[in-house]
Amino acid sequence: MELNGEQLIAAPIPDVWKGLNDIDILAKSIPGCEEINRISPEEIHAKVMFKIGPVRARFAGKLLLSDVIPDQSCSMAFEGSGGAAGFAKGRSRVELKAAEGGTLVSYTTEASIGGKLGQIGGRLISASAKKIADDFFQRFAKELGGEIVPLESDTQPE
Amino acid sequence: MKSAAFDYAKPKVFSEALALLTEAGEDAQLIAGGQTLLATLNLRLSEPSILIDITSLDELKGITVIGDQLRIGSLVTHTEIEDSKLIEQHAPLLKAAAPHIAHRAIRNLGTWGGSLAYGDPAAEWPACSLTLNATMLIAGPDGERRISAQDFFIDLYTTSLEPNEILVATEMPITNHNSVFYFHELARRHGDYAVAGLSMVAQKHGNVLSDCAFTFFSVGATPMMALKAQALVDGKPLTDEVISSAVAAAREELEVIADITNSVETKQHLIGVLLERGLKHLIA
Repeated sequence: MELNGEQLIAAPIPDVWKGLNDIDILAKSIPGCEEINRISPEEIHAKVMFKIGPVRARFAGKLLLSDVIPDQSCSMAFEGSGGAAGFAKGRSRVELKAAEGGTLVSYTTEASIGGKLGQIGGRLISASAKKIADDFFQRFAKELGGEIVPLESDTQPE
Repeated sequence: MKSAAFDYAKPKVFSEALALLTEAGEDAQLIAGGQTLLATLNLRLSEPSILIDITSLDELKGITVIGDQLRIGSLVTHTEIEDSKLIEQHAPLLKAAAPHIAHRAIRNLGTWGGSLAYGDPAAEWPACSLTLNATMLIAGPDGERRISAQDFFIDLYTTSLEPNEILVATEMPITNHNSVFYFHELARRHGDYAVAGLSMVAQKHGNVLSDCAFTFFSVGATPMMALKAQALVDGKPLTDEVISSAVAAAREELEVIADITNSVETKQHLIGVLLERGLKHLIA
């Protein structure tokens, strides 16, 4: 599955960058986040209650950051396991750019989903991923005291 | 696979069900027909601590007509809707839609309220309730509230129902002798989820349609009304030009999401195919 999109957040680049690297802000922004710990500067572990439609499963996952260029971009590799429900792993790249009205955050994600979740959830996996990403950015913008500025072309998962 | 262990309660009265639900919080799950829920439990996609069986609650049962409103209780099954004389007379769209829901064995158990509360974007009843301008009757610890279908479906699998609330019934205006309707879905095989579906009603006077409601489903995160297409059709003779402008508008205005096998472009194409067929059917 691929999920690519961009969001315009009404906050300056340094604030957005700081937010994305602040695990307290991330904890409040990730929908269903129950626990988040920074193990090292590049490694973050989290427990997330994933609740959408038929699925209600607790995922434990880790995130490895690489190619970090402050205030510009970073890459991350992630993997998570939800026990009997299935697992997800993939890579994501995030870029920040100054734009009129705030900071444009663009992201590209490639993920594979396996186990029961992959078989049963396949029909709506893109729509679910988009909803989670949208929820995340809404909460994140709120945490920064800004807001999401609607863009003309919205997130388009493929 | 078998489900994880859970507690089970079957309250006899409505207040008891609400109390149980409030007490158990988000770990509780209501069960009626169980046609989606049991599969997800057995696959362990979800592990609620308690199932509250609401099938004994009389408040949630029956199809009735009160004045110019049709009331459908949440526990009414798809089969009951398919076979009901009252539905045939007062909401024929629902009778036309019912056979598209999975298979008869599932329709015998699955419920009207279960489908609405679950909010699957591919499901027939959320789309029909939007088309028919239905109102949801919801009960919670603070009493009853009413909300229109338009405000009820918020996002993918997300409705305005709170975890401690129960969808009691739905009310909708009954049809009149100028009403026309159309229901169709394009699916790879019968009983499967639609790739795209359309549910329509309008008032027909000669070759003019008015009070149009065109709802597309299984193309985005929720069922969606094609408001621009409706406005283009409303109140004027339905010529080929009007049809093509409405088709173009519907393809453009809806926020379509791809699924695992069908691209956005495919779904947009099918939206137009369905709308053209539907409009021609309504005017024929």
